[in-house]
Amino acid sequence: MPKARSSIITIAKYTLMDQVRQKSFIIMFVMCALFLLLVRNCSQGGFMVNGQTLDNEAVVRVVLKAVFHINAAGTMFLAALFSMRVFKRDRDEGMQSCILSKPITRWQYVAGKILGLLVLSVAFMFILHSIVFIMFSVNLKVVMPEYLIASLLCSFNLLFVVVAVLLFSLLMPDIIAFLCVTGIGIVSFVADGIAAVSRSPMGQAMMQQSDSTSDLSLWKVIYYLWPKLSGIQQAASSMFSREGFQGFLSIYPFINILIYSLILGALLFWRFRHEDII
Amino acid sequence: MLMIELNAVTKQYGSFTAVDNISFSVQTGEYFALLGPNGAGKTTIVKMLLDFTQPTSGSLSINSVPSTQAASRTAIGYLAENHHIPPHLSGWQYLQRCAELLNINRSDATDQCRRIVKQIGIEGRENTKTNTYSKGMIQRLGMGAALLGNPKLLLLDEPTAGLDPIGIIEIRQLLESLKNQGMTIFLNSHLLSEVEKICDNAAIIHQGRLLVKDNIAALIKNGDTLEDVFVRLVKG
Repeated sequence: MPKARSSIITIAKYTLMDQVRQKSFIIMFVMCALFLLLVRNCSQGGFMVNGQTLDNEAVVRVVLKAVFHINAAGTMFLAALFSMRVFKRDRDEGMQSCILSKPITRWQYVAGKILGLLVLSVAFMFILHSIVFIMFSVNLKVVMPEYLIASLLCSFNLLFVVVAVLLFSLLMPDIIAFLCVTGIGIVSFVADGIAAVSRSPMGQAMMQQSDSTSDLSLWKVIYYLWPKLSGIQQAASSMFSREGFQGFLSIYPFINILIYSLILGALLFWRFRHEDII
Repeated sequence: MLMIELNAVTKQYGSFTAVDNISFSVQTGEYFALLGPNGAGKTTIVKMLLDFTQPTSGSLSINSVPSTQAASRTAIGYLAENHHIPPHLSGWQYLQRCAELLNINRSDATDQCRRIVKQIGIEGRENTKTNTYSKGMIQRLGMGAALLGNPKLLLLDEPTAGLDPIGIIEIRQLLESLKNQGMTIFLNSHLLSEVEKICDNAAIIHQGRLLVKDNIAALIKNGDTLEDVFVRLVKG
């Protein structure tokens, strides 16, 4: 078992190194860091509306939440980009046959790839969130360690994205695999947006007027079964915003994504076991 | 002692039979060549030995371990046909990476890599990126990587493909020196004259079927060359 672990870690290490050395990765990281610098003015404090000074902390929480969601969703997008060509690149560069001609099993190879991509994506997101955290903590003297914990909670989403893209890239062209997972993410965010509107007083009133309960219950089933990528971000951000913990509603997205990741992971290992190595 | 054993192996891709009920074995320390025209099924056999693809029926084993188990690849060195190396790595980095994948400890890996760099003749160029290497250098580097960890069996799929005459001679000399060290070598090749010079035994396959397996000396009796025997058998 230690030998298996060591092989997985070695493959993960090289997966990470091969990604980081790519120009596209560096460009994306710099662009994300520049975006964060654009919001640095929000961390200066002294916000005023109509001559009245606003509560710094309240404003900061709103801005932090917005930046948190943009960062987390952006990293999901980038994780999908990082993952989509991993198998193909290894195949084209001869590394897949090089690795698998050694006493390394296919599950170790796949596990190493998942681990490498996950560590890279989580580190990417955590560094970006840490930049925001430090910027706001230094300028406004408002320290919210929950922000960083929330960032780590979003790694569930990254696990789902990495596993899903790797699996889909074995079944379809890489770009289609990327678009499929991006589509799943977009639907999740849009559905949560619609659900939030439907819970508002205006939404409730509209639903009472339209008499379509049976249709709605079907949509509700689909809504709850759909990968809750947006739900995880909402639940994670509730740690530092003032929404508070909502019991099962806060935990459910994590269970949902974990189950999806396990199912997709099992399918990925099974599919790769039957893949011909070129 | 048997190093490689194929037992009634068949491989089908849909309705196409790439390997048709082939059985043979290779002894430890033997220098064995698998010969056949393009599409005969040679590479498919190597891939099945490495568990890169599964046989439709039959079984393969290396050192008495079924090839479906990773343990069968414990002491194997493999050089693929048209060997590829990540272009951003230097020769040294590639060898180090392969050594780490074999779980060779750091100091041993450095020693082995130094020895191999000399052996394959890329000394002085080992720290330049492999995208500046010639085809011959890439092939020799692949051979060097296959030698890491002191394997007992070398699986070489067309090791001289695309090489110029000097490159072919260099690979042949390297293989001869390995043969003298008692290593088992399984060679897939088109170059019959090379095989005739260095191999002990050979098998000829055509359209997935085994035509003959024998000692090279027995195959080329009556003053024939291996090429004559090959053409006669393949053309029926």
